[in-house]
Amino acid sequence: MSLLKIENLSASAGGKKVLQGLSLAINAGEVHAIMGPNGSGKSTLSYVLAGRPGYEITAGRVEFEGRDLTTLSPEERARAGLFLGFQYPVEIPGVNNVYLLKAALNARRKAQGLQEVDAYEFLQLVRAKMKLMQMDESFLSRGVNEGFSGGEKKRNEILQMLVIEPTLAVLDETDSGLDIDALKVVAKGVNSLRSANRGVLLITHYQRLLDHVVPDYVHVLARGRIAKTGDKSLAIELEKRGYDWVLEVA
Amino acid sequence: MTIALPTNRDENWRYANLRPLAKARMERAPASPDRNRKPLDRKLAGFDRWFFSDGHFVVSDQSPEARIQLLDARKAGESFAALLDSDLATAGADFTLARINAARGDEVLQIELPDDSPPLKVELVYSAATPAANGTSYPRVQIVAGRNTRLQVVEHQLTAGDVDVAVNAAFDIALRPGASLDHVRLQDCSNAAAVFDTLVAHVGEDAAYRLRTVTLGGLTSRSTAFVRLAGRGSRCEFTAASIANGNQTHDMFAEIEHRGAGSVTRELFRGIANDRGKLAFNGKMIVRETALDADSDQSLKTLLTGNGAEAAARPQLEIYTDRVRAKHGATTGKLDEQMLFYLLSRGLDRPTAQALLQWAFVEDVISQIEQPELRREIENRMLTRLHAVSSLSGLLGERA
Repeated sequence: MSLLKIENLSASAGGKKVLQGLSLAINAGEVHAIMGPNGSGKSTLSYVLAGRPGYEITAGRVEFEGRDLTTLSPEERARAGLFLGFQYPVEIPGVNNVYLLKAALNARRKAQGLQEVDAYEFLQLVRAKMKLMQMDESFLSRGVNEGFSGGEKKRNEILQMLVIEPTLAVLDETDSGLDIDALKVVAKGVNSLRSANRGVLLITHYQRLLDHVVPDYVHVLARGRIAKTGDKSLAIELEKRGYDWVLEVA
Repeated sequence: MTIALPTNRDENWRYANLRPLAKARMERAPASPDRNRKPLDRKLAGFDRWFFSDGHFVVSDQSPEARIQLLDARKAGESFAALLDSDLATAGADFTLARINAARGDEVLQIELPDDSPPLKVELVYSAATPAANGTSYPRVQIVAGRNTRLQVVEHQLTAGDVDVAVNAAFDIALRPGASLDHVRLQDCSNAAAVFDTLVAHVGEDAAYRLRTVTLGGLTSRSTAFVRLAGRGSRCEFTAASIANGNQTHDMFAEIEHRGAGSVTRELFRGIANDRGKLAFNGKMIVRETALDADSDQSLKTLLTGNGAEAAARPQLEIYTDRVRAKHGATTGKLDEQMLFYLLSRGLDRPTAQALLQWAFVEDVISQIEQPELRREIENRMLTRLHAVSSLSGLLGERA
């Protein structure tokens, strides 16, 4: 079943055309990686999918589980099962992590027609996921991302994803700024979410994340559209040869 | 006797809404039928509690204690005048309301801790119920904390029902060398009330005055504070939060004067103006020639969330010595769009996300209130003011 279906998507940000006729389909159970040079539109794609204000769709269609995604507000998209892991997670002092985690989980559960989790059940769940992410429980009482290192912020994004259990996770350069140990932890978190009824879209600059989260498909985004698609071997080739050869044939 | 009220033409009163007070009957409010009602059914652990209605003393559950007394206003005024620098206590239009308080009120609660006496905790509950057309409440408190004493005072300024009371309160504080006062003030009167107060604090050598004040109620509210850091090494933490909704006006003026060498101020203000609410914080910091190596830090931030909301955060510095560290910052802004989108992207609905960010904005003030049960009460009252009781109901339970 197709989770995400993007057809001829064009979008602009700040009055500048960024995506120009992008098409992509992600089925349940699949992991897709999108690579591409700076300015190719990778982050724009993630923001357009999540509904960030300031990113305007000018043409094309985006369907999420058969629904027109573009008619939904950002919060409706999240509750429907779309998760964006931010490249630069914002710090929100004064809002603690545990509150946000619980509010996010319950918003998702409500949309699924499920009851809110009770405090005990929630804490058990969060503790298990934090253990997986090798995060100390003290992070729960801290402000959202407040004073976190770059690596801690990325782990926190993945922790949120694991608690919310989205249908489709779009992870925007989750690997950037991570040392090799942190990369493995993050990869373990992503892999734990893989299942037959979920999809993952990894946006990355580098092949090294894909050593640990092996994608089913690798796409190269160039000049606002998918210029080439292959399997993991494409990522290895890009690592060796760079992007120029793809741009030449695109 | 007639004493003219300040007007918006007076430099330090530009943002105040004085009309409701001007319309109020200036005579002291009569004791109201409400005076036997206790709006707070819980007492803070370890605190003596004094309850006043329309400025009249009603009841106290004070443990046997000679250090708190109810005095005749004139007598107390005379004894107290000697304690404060005369120029501070009598100068200018800024003290007009305090003078009216002294002239009209006839009871003063005096808290006097002899030198080196044991710590004391006092909770003061002021409830007003008499409409402004029938009179004004004049609560007055005078504190003298002797050498090396420690005092905690919690003040609640409330109304019994949605009534348009007028309150003109005065608070005089003298801290002897080495004394410390932790002072928490909560003003959560009705949105029809006119609530005015004048606070004067004289802080001696190595003494510390810590004020945490939260202003939520009143059609109009104005706090005027003068803190003199007179002694070497004296210290003031002036921390204030305010939420103005609807057509509320909250105005605060705080002058902190450094006279003692090495005196320290930390001033923090966080205010939110919703709807057509108006907020002003005027923080004046004076560093005299004698205040060598004084250290002052002001952080004033206001948040505008309503289309008709207005806010003014104004730091002022007057420095008369070179050896000083004075830092100040003031901002007025809207909700951070990045933060808002982040919360929305996690599935929180927009009103909840907005309320949560407003909450976060003032939380660094509230988190400084040490007594957990009091902090919880203030947080609950704030959530009510943010119209977020239901959407953020789990918030307090999730605190670490």
